[in-house]
Amino acid sequence: MTTSPTSTDPSRVIASLARDQVNLELKTVDLCFLAGLYLKADKAALTSFEEDVLIDMFEQVCDVVEPGAENPRKRATHAIQRLREQRMLARVDAAGLVRAGDYALTTLAAALVQYFLADEALTRESLTLLTGTLSAQLAEVLAAAKKATDAESWRSKVSGPLRVTVSELVSGIERRQRGLDAQQEEVQAEIATLLSADWLSALESCQLLLDTTTGTLNELNAILLRDTNQFQALLQDIQARAEAADNDEAAETVQRVIEHVDRIAAWGSVRQQAWSEYYQYVHRYLRDVVRLDPDRALSQRLRDQTATWPASPFFLVVAPAPAMRLLRALEVRVERPPVQRPLTERETEPEWTPPENVHADIEILVVQALDDGAATLAEVSERVLAKLPESLHYAATGRIADAALRLGRVHSEHERPWAPVLSRLEVEDWSVDGRDTS
Amino acid sequence: MSASTFQTLEVALADELYPKVDLALRRGRHIGRDDGPMYEYLVDAQALLEPFYQRFGCELIQQSDGYFYLLPRPSNDALGRRQLSPGEMLVGQTLALLYLDPATLQHGGVVGRDALLQRLSALVGADVLVRTLHPRRTGRGKKYDERIAAESVRTKIGEAVRRLGELGFVDVLDDTRLRLRPALMRFAEPVRGLGDRSAALERLVRVGEVVLDDDEQDSEEDLSADEEPSS
Repeated sequence: MTTSPTSTDPSRVIASLARDQVNLELKTVDLCFLAGLYLKADKAALTSFEEDVLIDMFEQVCDVVEPGAENPRKRATHAIQRLREQRMLARVDAAGLVRAGDYALTTLAAALVQYFLADEALTRESLTLLTGTLSAQLAEVLAAAKKATDAESWRSKVSGPLRVTVSELVSGIERRQRGLDAQQEEVQAEIATLLSADWLSALESCQLLLDTTTGTLNELNAILLRDTNQFQALLQDIQARAEAADNDEAAETVQRVIEHVDRIAAWGSVRQQAWSEYYQYVHRYLRDVVRLDPDRALSQRLRDQTATWPASPFFLVVAPAPAMRLLRALEVRVERPPVQRPLTERETEPEWTPPENVHADIEILVVQALDDGAATLAEVSERVLAKLPESLHYAATGRIADAALRLGRVHSEHERPWAPVLSRLEVEDWSVDGRDTS
Repeated sequence: MSASTFQTLEVALADELYPKVDLALRRGRHIGRDDGPMYEYLVDAQALLEPFYQRFGCELIQQSDGYFYLLPRPSNDALGRRQLSPGEMLVGQTLALLYLDPATLQHGGVVGRDALLQRLSALVGADVLVRTLHPRRTGRGKKYDERIAAESVRTKIGEAVRRLGELGFVDVLDDTRLRLRPALMRFAEPVRGLGDRSAALERLVRVGEVVLDDDEQDSEEDLSADEEPSS
């Protein structure tokens, strides 16, 4: 623990605590040690302890908590170090290495010990005392607010006492309310334990516990209702004066105290309601279950019945009327058109195209070329291709050579020269010597 | 008995609470003290409503534990009758046991679903529980997958709790907690007296409170791990 977060923004506080990796790790012996120191300080009015006193106290605690533990002095040194690291003990002298130190309990340690030691449940006496003091304190603050003329007097005579004294008193009531909550839980657990152990014999004790707690709650709630109304009236008066004096700080402080007082007033009614439900439930249980089954035989018989139910079942009958049907409002029936699309003719009629007989045409054209005296394959090809569409030229070149070979008398050199045909083709040339008539 | 607010049946039926109470009763709900005004209405109008519901072949029953319900007579099925399922019966009896347990008092009659499952499993055993809730799929010693069965049992119990909530046996507070209501004592009715349980059951069958046959048409999930195809 290195820093204490001062922001009230929960996210920042949590982030800050997480960043500092705050944690507490206390063993029973540590807590007992702290409690021993707290009580000793309280009894002897000590503000700090010398190191030897700490070690003596730890040894005493060790004898009770862990009798027979070896080397208690060394353990004391470790415990003191552990508690210092966790800010439970603070060294309060400035002597350093010069001499053994003086130590004091921190507020954190005091708060922890107070939680375990103090019996701070709300009682009629403590609540009356607290509300009386609070009422007097608020009256003083109101008187100061009436006289306050400048910002300084508002701060020192109104905001300050409200923030410290009044808030402390209200928190004191709230703390005792939490104490009473814990007491109520204990009463509930005690009633359950008493009945489990003694059943019918516990009836009177349970009734007494119920009635005592109910009485306490009723009394406390009445006091809270009466006194919180008075607090609210005083606080609203102070707030009105703060607003009239344009003192925002004081007005905000009063508002926070008003909200705090609202909270303690709400506690009373909420707890009374919750307790009332619990009271009725337990009362019914005592009347319908405990009194009617003094030997506590019903539970056992029901347990046996349930355990053997699969072998010899029976079934309860209940009324089964279905939920009433609610008719829908009348509406014009909507005819939903079937899904469709316009019919289209997907088969197209065949087109009439002129018949193609390129092969026959080529042969005729080759014969014509030969007859016209073409002397080479290149010449024959040039004459034939000139009469055919350009897209067929490449394919037709081979067929022209084939036709010329079949229909003419051709001669080929061993190394046939390449001869151009029109603008884009070349053929390996032959010489052609007229048509073969044989 | 104090004088009723309602002088005639007409006045009782004209009360603004009547439709709500009537619908709840006809749906099998048990109306108890916890229901506040509905219960008070029934207490007030009881003398007038009893003969009224008899004309529908039903009895308006008030139990000493502090709740009302409508019981259809066996001979008359004008409104019909429904018997609880095996799951509802097992869960209901276990909840009744928890209702009787003083430990439940500590939390004002509020129990967790986990406590219910633990108690039920401890009472009848996991295997019996699976076979009772899934008789068809697990009958005659059929094998079943333990994991699927456990999940299915939890589902069945959850469904039973929901229905028992609708019938006014418990208040379902949230996904994990239930508040037990006095109507659960109906499940303990056969063993409330000190006499023979069989005789008590016979009497309850005679008055139409319980039936002994399980004619529930139950839809079952497949729990089998290596089940052979049925021939």
